[in-house]
Amino acid sequence: MKEFRFRILMILGVLALSLYLLYPTFADIQNTNKIEEEQALLLEKLQKSNPTISEAELNEALKIQEDSIMIADPTIRENREKRLKLGLDLQGGMYLVMEVNTAKLLEKLAKDPDEEFKKLLTESEQESKISDGDVVDLLAAKIKASGKRLSRYFGSIREDDDAIIKRLKEQEADAVTRAIEIINNRVNQYGVSEPNIQKQGSRRIIVELPGIAKEEEAKRLLQGSALLEFKLVKEADFTVPVLNRIDEILAAEFSDSSSVNDSTNENLSEEEFAKKHPFFAVALINPKSPYADAFVKESNKNKVIAYLRRPEVKNAIPDNAEFLFDAKPFTTQDGEKIYRLYLVNKQPELTGGVIVDAMANIDPQTTQPIVTMQMNSEGAREWARITGSNINKRCAIVLDNAVYSAPTIQGKIPNGSSRITGMGDMNEAKLLQIVLKAGALPAPVDIIEERTVGPSLGQDSINKGFNSTMIGFFLVALFMIFYYKKSGVVSDIALFFTVIIIMGILAGFHATLTLPGIAGIILTIGMAVDANVLIFERIREELKTGKTTKAAVESGFANSYSAILDSNITTFFTGIILYQFGSGPVQGFALTLMIGIAASLFSAFVVTRIIFDMMVAKGNKINIG
Amino acid sequence: MRIFDNLNVDFVSKRKMAYIISGTLILLGLISLAVRGLELGIDFKGGTDIALKFEQPIDIAQIRTELETLGLGNIEVKTFGGETGLLVRTELQGLPPQIYNKVITSIQNSIHKYDKNIKVTISDSSSNSVTFKFADVTAANKLETRLQNDGYQISRLDDNSIIVRVGIADWIEEALRNKIPDNHFVIQKEDHVGPKIGKELKQDSIIAVIFALAGILIYLGFRFKFVFALGAVVALFHDVLITLGIFAMLHGIIPGLNLEITISVVAAFMTIVGYSINDTVVVFDRVRENIKIHKTAPLKDNINKAINQTMSRTVITSLTTLFTVTVLLFFGGDVLRGFAFALFIGIIVGTYSSVFVASPFVYEYVQKSKKRIQF
Repeated sequence: MKEFRFRILMILGVLALSLYLLYPTFADIQNTNKIEEEQALLLEKLQKSNPTISEAELNEALKIQEDSIMIADPTIRENREKRLKLGLDLQGGMYLVMEVNTAKLLEKLAKDPDEEFKKLLTESEQESKISDGDVVDLLAAKIKASGKRLSRYFGSIREDDDAIIKRLKEQEADAVTRAIEIINNRVNQYGVSEPNIQKQGSRRIIVELPGIAKEEEAKRLLQGSALLEFKLVKEADFTVPVLNRIDEILAAEFSDSSSVNDSTNENLSEEEFAKKHPFFAVALINPKSPYADAFVKESNKNKVIAYLRRPEVKNAIPDNAEFLFDAKPFTTQDGEKIYRLYLVNKQPELTGGVIVDAMANIDPQTTQPIVTMQMNSEGAREWARITGSNINKRCAIVLDNAVYSAPTIQGKIPNGSSRITGMGDMNEAKLLQIVLKAGALPAPVDIIEERTVGPSLGQDSINKGFNSTMIGFFLVALFMIFYYKKSGVVSDIALFFTVIIIMGILAGFHATLTLPGIAGIILTIGMAVDANVLIFERIREELKTGKTTKAAVESGFANSYSAILDSNITTFFTGIILYQFGSGPVQGFALTLMIGIAASLFSAFVVTRIIFDMMVAKGNKINIG
Repeated sequence: MRIFDNLNVDFVSKRKMAYIISGTLILLGLISLAVRGLELGIDFKGGTDIALKFEQPIDIAQIRTELETLGLGNIEVKTFGGETGLLVRTELQGLPPQIYNKVITSIQNSIHKYDKNIKVTISDSSSNSVTFKFADVTAANKLETRLQNDGYQISRLDDNSIIVRVGIADWIEEALRNKIPDNHFVIQKEDHVGPKIGKELKQDSIIAVIFALAGILIYLGFRFKFVFALGAVVALFHDVLITLGIFAMLHGIIPGLNLEITISVVAAFMTIVGYSINDTVVVFDRVRENIKIHKTAPLKDNINKAINQTMSRTVITSLTTLFTVTVLLFFGGDVLRGFAFALFIGIIVGTYSSVFVASPFVYEYVQKSKKRIQF
């Protein structure tokens, strides 16, 4: 048995690894059921206590409850991140493909466009729709053909056409980056769980929004021009009383029934503190800082938003001010994600339309990243006035109601050319550059493909997929036993391994399981026995020639090797091509097909082999039907 | 159990019969393709698909007539998943202008039905949505729930404004709600595909199939001999053509079987390519082995022997794969039915072709060119 030890260990290792990778998925299914049960209870309770409660309020309450369950048990989140994800076709949601509208961008960029320009632009746009041509190239060719230079409309007079075309294409690429950031920002604020936003090719963006089935809601998130504003941050002596008042209002509301024993204010336990200061418990203030920004943990953000939305709290916030969160959280040393909460002027000082250009750079003197920003003459005049009268105050750069940066104004900026410092790294600076440009130049996007799957169809597909997999597995397994008897049992063990390995690898790759992906698994079950069938048939033949069992097994495996490899490599190859060309769901199918081939080869050459070898070593007769 | 023990059939000599069968099937397929054509899904054509699920069984014919009166041009209506499911399809990308205005009026009527004196203005409108602005929050709140109950897709812009969707899908849904008021439905699935995407997809699919064939040709030419690679590719063309032909022949004829060409059907065709090549390679591998062992035997004998030796495996593997595909066909749901059907036909044809087309082609080619094959 010693000779088998290594292989047995390997098989057990693969099995253990697959199960380990699959564990979070099992755990998450149970967690989700648990959360759903509790949510159903809460829903019932809320509807009973307040029959006229609106859907938005209900959703908010449910979200907060889910957050608090997640905080109580951090493994829930861990398992959720590691589970086998379900595609939009299985869990419901929206899939959108968007394309930057180059024609609209060019129209915006053109200097004094005349009627002829507009005509040529429309023509180019039409042509680009039916050909593969880029609007920039088409328009450039048309302008050239009309006997004009490109510099009539774009760039400066000294530039030649090629340089201008190159720059316009850069603008096009910039617009895609900008659009992605704008969408990211809005989707994050909206609180979609596990969104997926990615660039496809040079001009397209793919957006996947699980759970959103309302088209208009999604479109509002994705389209529409971005709003960039400069808003002055309120100073601490204004903000602190507002925060105190909110805290008092909330404390009064929560303690109306249970009386708080007002002993001493010092050394309150965490629980007592939360009861006395419900707001400060979730929105922390650093008393040593000159600023009164509140710090909110990511897990508490929904709670704070809900607090701020209460009508009594709204009344406590002065009319000329509003609370805004950071666009992106910063991470503390212990890995906690924190958002700042700012109190800013409701009225913006300036909007982003005045920005002409923004550029991220390294300051040659300090070697720190900086962002420089130019404004047009009108904006520069305003900016000089604003900066002049607000020295040492902070000015928040706000895109779609999220704060990207709140630099301190250090002095009057007379010519509209500003430098922003204090970025952590170059990436942060680049992000600010994108954001500043978003105010100046829109990134018009068109939705060119949109697929919505309702949750009921998703659940239906999951059930059908699961049932089909089970039925398919048992049909094939029974047939193999019927036809190959004892050896059929061996192949069924190998088949079981194949399925477990496929699922394990999918989970390990963080792959997304789609309906075609399930179809791929079902198909693989049918095809996976092929390697075993080839081996069995070959062993039968070898036995017929009068070889001993041991020799027959030996040469049966050896002789079927080339057929199995050659045939599977060609099939694998079509899988690769399918993966390359396909979109979401088809890729899922191709992926499971390829993993299935690899897994079935392992099962046949390792699992089936060792069982046969052990049977031979024990002197058992091999029974192949 | 053994079904093909000591099988000894002269498959190569029966090739003429196979040519007739294959030729007839391909010819019929080509005629169907020319006369009936393929039914392209919106993945390739562009347009809108809406799948609905009703509470009670529906009368498709009645719904079809109702929807025809909408003035939206050609609307297809089919069943989708049993007798309560409905699939509505149009190639239009948005509502025609005259209907758009009608839709807005009907929403305004709904609003005034609940409150005659409510103050409301249209603050924004696009091809797919209209924004209504109310005087205060309470009015907006009230109308939000009311319109939602009426089945409009609503979202909130700010305290006073709500956005109502007026896309083509919404209009169809709204019409169905009015015409069949006592049978409620939920939307299972909604797809909009722009015309450009469809065009690109067509190109990509063709490129993918060409790449796959070229890759197979190169790999098999390298591992075997060029003749074998050619034989395998001829068999692939044969399989894909016949399966496509059957799609052209049968679409719209069998109720409950939706045979349009969607992206997943294309994926199924690629899988047929993969499966059929798998089958063919196993036979070729045996031919190669036989040629190596029986160097002096005529090619015909070696090929026949190889087919007979592998017949059991060919049939068993096809059977197990057909089992699972049949399960998919019957239990996989409507979304996968076309996909499963393509595989079902493809696997049968692919198995047949690896026995009766690929190897005989190699024999025929070698006969004609009077070469000898050696490994």
